[in-house]
Amino acid sequence: MPASSEATVTLPAGVALHARPAATFVKTALRFRSSVTVGSNGKVANAKSILDVLALGAHGGTVLRLSADGDDAAEALEALKGCVSGLIE
Amino acid sequence: MVGIVLVSHSSELARGLADLASQVAGTEVRIEAAGGGPGGSLGTNGDTVREAILRADRGQGVVVLADLGSAVLTVRHVLEGQTNGHVRLVDAPFVEGAVAAAVMSSAGLALDDVVRAAEEARGASKF
Repeated sequence: MPASSEATVTLPAGVALHARPAATFVKTALRFRSSVTVGSNGKVANAKSILDVLALGAHGGTVLRLSADGDDAAEALEALKGCVSGLIE
Repeated sequence: MVGIVLVSHSSELARGLADLASQVAGTEVRIEAAGGGPGGSLGTNGDTVREAILRADRGQGVVVLADLGSAVLTVRHVLEGQTNGHVRLVDAPFVEGAVAAAVMSSAGLALDDVVRAAEEARGASKF
């Protein structure tokens, strides 16, 4: 059944959402069927697009707003929250 | 994983972009640089491109990106007669297209999805 979910998660201090951390995040989002967006600093990105996520320019300590829409939305957000919390440079 | 070949007039540009895309996507994706003309001059070389495609091909297909003009002609010449779509030259911005393709490939996506991600890089804003 299609569903939408939202969540917030904070980037670890000192870990920007760039290069390898951004790719780790995108690869996690790509594991799910749901469409997923990530927002910060007034911008919203497609969580499955590395270029979109890089363009957010999110620094360490930034609050990310995650939103997922689809039959595995809840699982996608759980996985992405765990992914962000565990990111390292 | 889908292999990626970067064709540039400059061997340094192709090599540097391959390093950057590997840094972002991880080293498990085969990203091959095919830059420079004969003797290290600025230019492109069909043999260099052909060898890079062979190295990049792990069986799931190869995406080829070119920097400018005659690099496209060189790739087209190399691909002449190959009509099965296993090796695809994509019309995409060089840096953004390479990074987008590399990440999609590293996530295990199929050739069509990797091609689409590279092409969609054209519309991506940097900030």
